[in-house]
Amino acid sequence: MLALFLVLLQVASEGLFRASAVGVFTGPLATGLVGLALLIGLAPAGTPSTARGPWSILHITVSVLGLAMLALAFIAAALYLLQFRELKARRFGQVFRLFPPLERLDQLNHLSLILGFPTVTLGVLLGFGVRYAGGASVDAAQVVWGMLTWLVLGWAVGVRVVRHWVGRRAAFASIASFAAVLLVYLALKLTAPGTQRFL
Amino acid sequence: MSITVLGVNHRTAPLEVRERFAHGAREVPTSLERVLAAGARGGVLLSTCNRTEFYLADPDDTAPEAVWTLLSERLGGARRASDYGYSQRDREAVRHLYRVSAGLDSMILGETQIQGQVRDAWELSKAQAGPALHRLFQSALLVGARVRSETGLAAGTASAPSAAVAVAAKIFTRLAGRSALILGAGDMAELAATCLVSEGVRVTLVANRTYERARAIADELDARALTLDEAWEHFADADIVLCSTAAPHTVVTWDRVAPAVARRGGRPLCILDLAVPRDVDPAVAQLENVFLYDIDDLQAVAAQAAAQRRSDIPAAEHIVSEEVERFWAWYGGLAVVPVLKELRDRMERVRADEVERALRRMHLTPEDRAQLEHFSQALLNKFLHQPTIALKQAAGAGRGYGLLEALKRLFGLEPRDGA
Repeated sequence: MLALFLVLLQVASEGLFRASAVGVFTGPLATGLVGLALLIGLAPAGTPSTARGPWSILHITVSVLGLAMLALAFIAAALYLLQFRELKARRFGQVFRLFPPLERLDQLNHLSLILGFPTVTLGVLLGFGVRYAGGASVDAAQVVWGMLTWLVLGWAVGVRVVRHWVGRRAAFASIASFAAVLLVYLALKLTAPGTQRFL
Repeated sequence: MSITVLGVNHRTAPLEVRERFAHGAREVPTSLERVLAAGARGGVLLSTCNRTEFYLADPDDTAPEAVWTLLSERLGGARRASDYGYSQRDREAVRHLYRVSAGLDSMILGETQIQGQVRDAWELSKAQAGPALHRLFQSALLVGARVRSETGLAAGTASAPSAAVAVAAKIFTRLAGRSALILGAGDMAELAATCLVSEGVRVTLVANRTYERARAIADELDARALTLDEAWEHFADADIVLCSTAAPHTVVTWDRVAPAVARRGGRPLCILDLAVPRDVDPAVAQLENVFLYDIDDLQAVAAQAAAQRRSDIPAAEHIVSEEVERFWAWYGGLAVVPVLKELRDRMERVRADEVERALRRMHLTPEDRAQLEHFSQALLNKFLHQPTIALKQAAGAGRGYGLLEALKRLFGLEPRDGA
């Protein structure tokens, strides 16, 4: 689902930002996500979705959409740093020619982050709602780590919106926050294997 | 009789060396005078940001050394200019200039700016060029024009000013509405500013060492004029800075602009240094979110666009070769005429002396004397006819040089200057 959202967002960003080079990263990342899911047993073999209830499905959908936006922000930040490095180093090769302008990548990162964070937050709130309504059981470790990750994401958005970070510093913050999401996710998968929910 | 070119260009010398060799318009006559004094009948100095070349007519053996010494002095230290240089002679020198004028030897293949630079060099050196170089440079301009009109070598916009737009467009999402500050009054900055303005960039400030010159350009661009000292604080709000002053050293230094750049709040600043010698201290590029590009960088960008022009190189080279032969035929003919005249004069003097001596010994009637005179004249003409025709034909085919040298040596001929 994350891969699907990622590709949809990439198509949308291409229309909005004329940032076709983003596809160079979203394509492999989406493929990689599908491959990883199959590899670690995230194939749709768990509870049938009809048995989850509509709030649970909404929680998952919104959360994954939020994560896809954060992934897009991460990709835009990575492209920004690559283009930044090439422009600073006065190299005028493929990256210079194919990648979008720095400002456009910064704008894509900014938009993805400020839309992604509230979406993820909404997903988290929906998750709490599902849990306290008795729709699902989540262990304490997931909640703690999930909240910590949310705080890191909040920090990345905060420095952009409140402290007006732009450019390279904002890109590093965005990359750090998405890396935190991935690391926590992988850590939880390794320590508590199975069809765990996250965030 | 020969033509020689000695110099350095972007292939043989880095920017740091080329900028030391670059001559301002005022320096050209002095440098040429010095080289001509070492022994040459004419000279033209072509000095651009990409090349410094001395074209010499009939240089003595000492002239090349004079050129390298002059350039080495500008280089300073123990470095020798000849280590970065090249020289071409006769046909190859002519071919070299034609290729330069056609844009075949430019960093950006087919770029058109060089045509104007060749014209400027010729006009600056007119008093010292001499007839052969005068003709050579005139024809070089025609060759450049012919190549550009008959091939696609100049198609597209692969020039340094247009590359300035391409680079700025990789930093900013939209160029329209961006503000630009121009430092200096160089032609390149004006060209680049024109390209940027056509993309919607607003030139808001023009700064120059002399306020009056800044005012003149600012009035043209509907901008505000400043002195250079007033310009530094505007690095805080301009998006693009175009530098093209004639200063012999860097004027945009870390100390002058770092405080203003710190107030930008992380917004990128694109500095395009189009001057040679460079106006911007390379250390300025280390400031966060400052993107500095000099003329070499822009030309490298433009060179990529020029890659598609490469398919037209064979056609352009063909035109150059044709024109080299045409010039060489004229040049060979130029030398043939005075030598043939000298040969004929000398033979005529011999004939007249010998006829006079014979007539003194013989007692002939006036009719017989006229007959003898006529006979000797006809005989001389017949003797000279075939060599004259052969030499003119060889010169017409561009092969007269060797025959001419042989003739001069065999008959001890040396035409008088200006003949």
